[in-house]
Amino acid sequence: MRNNPPKIITYLANLPLNLLLYATLIVPFALMIYLAFLAWNPAAGINWWEAPFTGVNNFIRALSDSRFIAALGRTAAFVVIVVTIEFFLGLALAYFMLEEFKGKKISLSLIIYPLMLPWVVVALIFYLFFQDYGPMNNVFLKLIIGESAQNIHWFLSSTTAFISLIIADVWQWTPFIFLVMYSGLSAVSKRLIEAAQVLGASSRTIFWRIQLPLIKPLVLIAVVLRALEAFKVFDIAYVMTGGGPGTSTETISLYIYRVAIEYHDISYAAALSLIVLIILVIIIRSFIWYSFERGVKR
Amino acid sequence: MNHKIISKFTRYLVIIIFLSWILIPVLWMVTLAFKSYPEWRVAYFFPKEPTFMNFILIFEPKQIVGMMGATALVDPVTLPFINSLLVVGASTVLSVIIGFFTAYGASRYNSPGPFSLFFTLLTRMLPPATFVTPIMVYYSNLKLLDSHLGLIMLYSAVTVTYGIWILKGFIDQVPIEWEQAALLEGASHLQVVFRVTLPIVKSGLVVSGLFIFLLNWAELLFALVLTNVQAVTLPVHISKYVGAVGQLYGPQAALGILSSLIPVIIGYIIQKHLVTAFTFGMVR
Repeated sequence: MRNNPPKIITYLANLPLNLLLYATLIVPFALMIYLAFLAWNPAAGINWWEAPFTGVNNFIRALSDSRFIAALGRTAAFVVIVVTIEFFLGLALAYFMLEEFKGKKISLSLIIYPLMLPWVVVALIFYLFFQDYGPMNNVFLKLIIGESAQNIHWFLSSTTAFISLIIADVWQWTPFIFLVMYSGLSAVSKRLIEAAQVLGASSRTIFWRIQLPLIKPLVLIAVVLRALEAFKVFDIAYVMTGGGPGTSTETISLYIYRVAIEYHDISYAAALSLIVLIILVIIIRSFIWYSFERGVKR
Repeated sequence: MNHKIISKFTRYLVIIIFLSWILIPVLWMVTLAFKSYPEWRVAYFFPKEPTFMNFILIFEPKQIVGMMGATALVDPVTLPFINSLLVVGASTVLSVIIGFFTAYGASRYNSPGPFSLFFTLLTRMLPPATFVTPIMVYYSNLKLLDSHLGLIMLYSAVTVTYGIWILKGFIDQVPIEWEQAALLEGASHLQVVFRVTLPIVKSGLVVSGLFIFLLNWAELLFALVLTNVQAVTLPVHISKYVGAVGQLYGPQAALGILSSLIPVIIGYIIQKHLVTAFTFGMVR
């Protein structure tokens, strides 16, 4: 059956996907490449097919656009910081959750439920959480610093506003890293661990020398997927800080959104998108090569 | 023995700290939703006189203006809620159906070329902001802006990849001998697909459908750009509530609860499959 598929079946199997992809995504992707080389602003009252070409002007403008470079750097910093924190928190939590104990089942369900909440709701939760009378000032800061803690106006200074975004992201996504590591670690064969115990290895040695190396490929996948997801960061910045104060928490997604929607500079937004896309496609392609294809060729 | 008790104690301590870190922000939102206007800016958690006023206000917001320092008229949540159900429901069904066909072809005949598979994976990994601009231009030429159809098509296109990968995992586990046996009995190829394979992977359809529902329910950016009045979804409504209307903490919290009810129920049902789903089946 595998050797001789009837043509009609393979054709039917692919038709719906291709129709959908061409109708909604592939045509716009082609359009984006075209738009990026135009000088078009819909406010001028002409259609995009009537707009003049400007060659690579949009791209040159992007390279000297300090707001764009700053947003790109800020987003990259955000990705590195949140992924690092989430990695170590997730790892520690997976280590502590591994053995059986009373209340494990309920703890597991509670730990992973931030993953299911809509990102806007997470943004809303932390928008309320960081208000002057919210629990960040009144519970956590007082626990850490003591009763003398002053209320911090989290969204009014650029550093604390950025930190509040990091905290919201870490809150929602540490469970993801935890979940991948936890399911990887609990799949490691019990016999292997027992054998090591018989040979006299301590539980710490077993964790670092046996369990962790075995789940390394899983951890790599989780970290890369998380990093790509973190790079998208839009919802929490849009809802919690609005990119502010000033443009100090503006992420790359938020900046492109603003150029396109608020400044109506469509062709420039298309050029910015293309630059980001090319960077990301190179990263994703090399990840796919590194994790799937490298092994095949070896 | 002593060492064991200490490690047990540390474990409970770490887990309790982490759980309270997860729960306190949510608890704050939940209790805030039941606080009356004078209590929105207080530092304690539990309202002295719990009220449902905030939930009524998000459905009938006219009274907010003037009374509670709101600066603009807000729309009731009814239309966005219905839109979300409609758009997300329809796009989920569409992506599961298309995902099933593609996954079947991929599993049995290796059929969709690497380009389609890479492309669907890519659109899921790239930031939506990087391709929403041309979609907006394209939709405005097709008169699809602010329409349910436009959102449904886009939502299913960007989540179909989960349908493909999750369902491919399920279909791979159906023994090919069963299909061959049915063919020998005289069934046609189409009958094999619909009468043999489809019923077996029913639970896969449910898992992928619920997961895709979860993702589309949360989607903000596409809806923000592509809708305006008619097709506004719940996340867009929430972002408007926070941005434009000022410090209506109580109703905002109520909105948050309203829009997390469905995801929390779905999440509880599919929690065993979450890892597989989030990682495109790369991690099982």
